[in-house]
Amino acid sequence: MNFAEYIFIVIMLVTMIGSLVTVLSGSLIYAMIGLVVTLFGVAGIYIYLNAPFLAMMQILIYVGAITILIAFAIMLAGPMSKRPKEWTTTGKLIASIVVSILSFVVLYKAIIRGLWVSGKVQEFTLTTKDIGRTLLDKLILPFELISLLIVVSIVGAIMLALFSRREK
Amino acid sequence: MTGTFIFNNLYIYLFLALFLLCSGIMGIIYRKTLIGMLISIELIMNGAGLNLVALNRFTSPDNTYGQVFTLFIMGIAAAETAIALGIVILIFRKFGHIEGEKLKEMRD
Repeated sequence: MNFAEYIFIVIMLVTMIGSLVTVLSGSLIYAMIGLVVTLFGVAGIYIYLNAPFLAMMQILIYVGAITILIAFAIMLAGPMSKRPKEWTTTGKLIASIVVSILSFVVLYKAIIRGLWVSGKVQEFTLTTKDIGRTLLDKLILPFELISLLIVVSIVGAIMLALFSRREK
Repeated sequence: MTGTFIFNNLYIYLFLALFLLCSGIMGIIYRKTLIGMLISIELIMNGAGLNLVALNRFTSPDNTYGQVFTLFIMGIAAAETAIALGIVILIFRKFGHIEGEKLKEMRD
């Protein structure tokens, strides 16, 4: 065990604990903070996977944009005192635990039985330049479609807000 | 670094992605409000992206398709979150709450 492995294990534990906090906490604000912790942990995992550009994009897009959107929605959806507690019935808790454990077991067996890697682990030497090459040479059509999708979703969100205001 | 480090093992990344997926499924069933379900969907999307990047790094290290598709997943997640939060705010204005169980009608 050297130093990098210890840091890797810490990042993994932080990610898992963050996801559990996200799922099980009683308040939506705590769930959002757990989501931020999880996203930072996944960004650290991306750095260990030789993808520093993706780690930066993860922090920019997820932590910087999506979490702020969720925070605004939480603040707009009623005051703190009126907000319902997230704890539901125990039957629902048992159902959720059973479903997640069942899917965990099934997919874990699928992972273990699959022959993913053959032989020695190869070095990964591709950089951000190669990502840009792939993005704009070979996958230019999905790239443009993603931009179209984002424009459509933004216009749709604005239209939703406008129509609801006109009804009042 | 291609030695026998713990982070050069594919299965540990797949295990972490599976953990994220299962906690996301659990959150979708367990959460009461719509925003909580949306946060759980974000967890599932992160698990999918982690899976793609890990498989790209270990099974085909001579191209970058997995990382590019993870970028696409991020864009789709941003669009989906914007739309879904718009709908959540609309539901809150109309019904006064954002609980998924109490939403019985979609018409009108």
